[in-house]
Amino acid sequence: MPKERLKRKISGSEKQVEDVLEKQKEEDEDENLWNVVNDDEEDSSDSDGDIEESEEEFKIESDDENDEDHSNTDDEEEEEEEEEEDEEAETDDDEDLSEKTVGNGLRDESDVDGSDNDKISDSNIDNSKHNNDSTNQKKSKNTKKQGLKNKINENKNETKTVIEDEYADYDTSDEEDIRNTVGNIPMNWYDEYRHLGYDWDGNKILKPEGQDQLDAFLKRIDDPDFWRTVKDPQTGQEVKLTDEDVKLIRRIQGQKIPDETFDEYAPWIEWFTSEVMKTPIRKFPEHKRSFLPSKYEEKKVEKLARALKMGWIKTKEEQDKLRAKKEPQFYMLWQTDDQADEMRRIYKHIPAPKRHLPGHAESYNPPAEYLFDEKELKQWNKLKDSPWKRKLHFVPQKFDSLRKVPAYSRYIKERFLRCLDLYLCPRAIKMKLTIEPEALVPKLPSPRDLQPFPTVLSLEYVGHSDMIRTIDTDKTGQYLVSGSDDCTVKIWEINTGRCLKTIQTDAVIRSVKWCPNSSLSLILVASGNKVILLNPHVGDTLVCNKTDAVLKDAPTTDIIISERVRTTVEWREPEEDEYAKGYRAVLTHFKEVTQVTWHGRGDYFACVMPDGQNRSVLIGQVSKRRSQLPFSKPKGLVQCVLFHPSKPFLFVATQRHVRIYDLMKQMLVKKLLTNCKWISTMDIHPGGDNLLVATYDRKVLWFDLDLSTKPYQTLRLHGTAVRGVSFHKRYPLFASGSDDKSLIISHGMVYNDLMQNPLIVPLKRLQNHKSANDFGIFDVHFHPLQPWVFTSGADGTIKLYSN
Amino acid sequence: MERMDQSAEAQLQVRFVTKQETYAVPDVPFSVPQNIDTSRLNKLLNELLRENAELLKPTEFDFLVLGQLLRVPLIEHLQEFNESIEATVEIEYVQRTPAPEPEDALLHDDWISGIQVADKWVLTGCYDQTINIWTTRGKHQVSAREHTNIVKAVCWLKQGDPSGGFVTVSHDLTGIIWKWEPSEEQPKPVTVLRGHERGIDAVGVSSNSERLATGGWDTYLKLWSASLDVEDCYEPFHKKIRGVQGKATIARTPLHTLKGHKESIVAIQWSESDTICTASMDHTLKLWDAELCGLRNEVVAEKAFLGASWSPLSRTIITCSADRHIRLYDPRSTEGSVCKTLFTSHTLWVSAVTWSQHNEHLFMSGSYDECVKLWDTRCPRAPLYDLSGHEGKVLCVDWSNPKHLVSGGTDNSVHIFKNRQFN
Repeated sequence: MPKERLKRKISGSEKQVEDVLEKQKEEDEDENLWNVVNDDEEDSSDSDGDIEESEEEFKIESDDENDEDHSNTDDEEEEEEEEEEDEEAETDDDEDLSEKTVGNGLRDESDVDGSDNDKISDSNIDNSKHNNDSTNQKKSKNTKKQGLKNKINENKNETKTVIEDEYADYDTSDEEDIRNTVGNIPMNWYDEYRHLGYDWDGNKILKPEGQDQLDAFLKRIDDPDFWRTVKDPQTGQEVKLTDEDVKLIRRIQGQKIPDETFDEYAPWIEWFTSEVMKTPIRKFPEHKRSFLPSKYEEKKVEKLARALKMGWIKTKEEQDKLRAKKEPQFYMLWQTDDQADEMRRIYKHIPAPKRHLPGHAESYNPPAEYLFDEKELKQWNKLKDSPWKRKLHFVPQKFDSLRKVPAYSRYIKERFLRCLDLYLCPRAIKMKLTIEPEALVPKLPSPRDLQPFPTVLSLEYVGHSDMIRTIDTDKTGQYLVSGSDDCTVKIWEINTGRCLKTIQTDAVIRSVKWCPNSSLSLILVASGNKVILLNPHVGDTLVCNKTDAVLKDAPTTDIIISERVRTTVEWREPEEDEYAKGYRAVLTHFKEVTQVTWHGRGDYFACVMPDGQNRSVLIGQVSKRRSQLPFSKPKGLVQCVLFHPSKPFLFVATQRHVRIYDLMKQMLVKKLLTNCKWISTMDIHPGGDNLLVATYDRKVLWFDLDLSTKPYQTLRLHGTAVRGVSFHKRYPLFASGSDDKSLIISHGMVYNDLMQNPLIVPLKRLQNHKSANDFGIFDVHFHPLQPWVFTSGADGTIKLYSN
Repeated sequence: MERMDQSAEAQLQVRFVTKQETYAVPDVPFSVPQNIDTSRLNKLLNELLRENAELLKPTEFDFLVLGQLLRVPLIEHLQEFNESIEATVEIEYVQRTPAPEPEDALLHDDWISGIQVADKWVLTGCYDQTINIWTTRGKHQVSAREHTNIVKAVCWLKQGDPSGGFVTVSHDLTGIIWKWEPSEEQPKPVTVLRGHERGIDAVGVSSNSERLATGGWDTYLKLWSASLDVEDCYEPFHKKIRGVQGKATIARTPLHTLKGHKESIVAIQWSESDTICTASMDHTLKLWDAELCGLRNEVVAEKAFLGASWSPLSRTIITCSADRHIRLYDPRSTEGSVCKTLFTSHTLWVSAVTWSQHNEHLFMSGSYDECVKLWDTRCPRAPLYDLSGHEGKVLCVDWSNPKHLVSGGTDNSVHIFKNRQFN
């Protein structure tokens, strides 16, 4: 590279300088050399004037000229002469230079006359380097003015400036003219050594002879330029700063732009004007999103607005207000006193009531019926004093066309009144309670969760030839007893469906009931107007025999049976053939007995004769073989009676009511209002607090006796008269059977917790019976232990449904 | 054409294995169509067998895939178990259980409630209070009436040996131990078991024939000596009570009374020498220790039991309840459900079940739907065979003699089926 070589030469010459400090000749030589360089530059810049000229050519040229550099002494002398001239001349020289060096575009050179503005466009990065060189040259000229005495220093300064300028330039680092090749390292690393680093040829650069304090002091005294002398750490030489440098430092210290030539107030070139151009500056059109309002911002604003509204963030005013408020803090005892009205308006804004929309009457051309006739007009006029009583506040008028409608004279007034209304009438929000009808229906659990309950027909008990009105089971769930219209009572084995016994009686069997006392083997059979105490002789033979023994001898009592009872019922011993059939006692009543029921202990039983007037209910006692008539007055057509499972209560169902009597106190406890036409039968929950009442008018009523005298729930699940209803003794189940042949199994959970109402869930409808004479199911009875249910039907079969 | 292609490309790798040496085939995988069914597998296997050994007559096989009998095309079977069809499927084949052959029907006067076979003698208990002994050929040998109420269950004292006597229980609250030699005309009641308070429904004799257990509606399980010797004096005492019909019979009192069931006991079987398995209407199966007279294990189910049978081969209990399902219980299992399998094919209550005495997988069941079914535990979805013939509810079944499957019901008849595996 020519340039490198050049630099090397420079450094080499400098070394020479160092070696022979006082020799001016050599200094001149040095100058010469410089001039040569400058000439080179000038020449090259000349050649650069032609922009098209290739760089290679230029290099070759410069090479050639480098070879000849020592010969160009004339030029150098000329230069020297110029140096002798004053500053004005220098400016001229500068001008010359700038003229000479075409493409010198740096402003620092043009600051003197500003004539180079037009040359900016010509400036060329490649050239700028040479230009710099030329400026260096110029600087060196300046230093020469300082006098011969400091030539060496000057020289060094020159080199330094060269170096510095190199740094300031665009050149890459490999072109840097660093004489010391140690690189950019802290120079104190060389403090220990005698040399400072290495030059291009790898030779040590020795430290200059150290000056002692005295020398330094003398120098300070002697040297007028001592203040501007600094030590170059790279070379260890002392360097005297030029005026330029000092000026530069001063400018920097004064916080001015270091470059003197920089025009701070240069005319403004407006690249982007406010004027709308025809062609866009940018090629591509505006993006779509710049036309769309930013959702993000909107959200942000919304958030802020809300926060402001809610008082989460405060404006400065509010903050100030708060701060001002904070100073003395007094709390209101009643918070409502000072609550801000604004918040109420925000939270509970009440919109103004809407005005009525105009109707037909308001039309300019109302239908004829809206137009007032004379009477109506008279009426309207009559209410002049109390216009608010008028149906319409105006008289409808008819016009041919809209054009003919005159201005409305009351417009302003009405507007004003409306404003008054809005302003003066306080508005309040009326809370309206909206309850969906669905929400009122309680959520019922799924039948799947309420298992077990009877679901499938499992067994049929076939044998009766006529409809079976009544069924009952024994306590262990082994046997089933049924009474039929074919005047027979049959005992069945439940598990196999085997009819074990058939007992022929004289009349239609209306009711059978197994004695709940497990130490008695007795069945009450209501057959016609007889009630038979029957020992079926199944199950425990010991119990059967004991029962026989107990009933063998009628106890003789002294109590005289009243005439009223005697005419009602007659106890008698069974005859021989009857005894063989199992009869143990026969009660002959004066009317037909429709129902019998046992008391829970199995000693007392009740019979019902609906036609018996005031003697329709009869209570008998097995152990004493006597009967009582509990009621003296007729209460109505008694349908059904029941004993309470634990308390001495008797439930008497007449046609429309259920009365509960306390047998101990002999008084009416409660009267249940069924609100139905005709009660058919009833059953009591084993707990004793809930009663199911079946009616002929298709309803099943659930009474919670603790709750009220009205039904807790009315189940309208059947299509026709309900004839049988039953609770399960163990499982929370109840069932009802009706004439529509359907048996409905329901879940009826009674909770021990008195606060919780019974849960009733209909579960299953079972329809297997055949209809006969419009009768379907007569009796429903649950298995005492298993979740199975028996139904007896008019078709002469009993069916067992199991889970 | 397309269908053929499809079937041709859908192939499965199978390997045939068996535990029956006579029917062994080489252990090489075969490629079979995915939807191959039992009949085609049978054909294939018979071909293979003919190649290997000179088997003259083709044999019917059943195929076990993943422990269950193959009843549907192979691919469906695999899909049901979510089994990969990539791997080689191992098919175990067993000789198919031959269909039982109806042999005879024994007509009684009333419902048959209890039945058991020993050797060629069929002992039946009847609702007309009689007990009858028939030969399997249909010859009525003996009829005896000693009970005063319906006979509920009968049991030979010695398995397969009629001369060991038998026991019958009845709803007249007693059981009677009878002595009978096949040559005799009339069995002799040895002793009356008195102690139950209500009808007895079930009886079981221990495997060493020393003791028997009865249970019924009084919920108690009572253990008795099964000795035929009247003077056998390890019992506390004997009582002489006049029988109902005037015959002097010696009453025997129970050795032990085990309380625990809440409702009637419907089935009793001695599972091992000292364990009694009982099923009850109170939804429980209980295993009692006969030596210590205590409860050993209990299985609680959802439905009331109607019958149960314990198998000494598989050591599991098969039960029937008051529904249409048959359930297989493994009382030994501790984790998970003790109910292992559900067999559903009957349409009404299943009244009786009994295990096969020779095959750990086979059992038979009788139901109120007038059907007797033969089951394989490896095929829970469908029975192997339906043994039809009854015209009323089936109340009792028995398979004590592997050769004969017998059942009795409300059509007053006992149906005997011959098991062709043993002729």
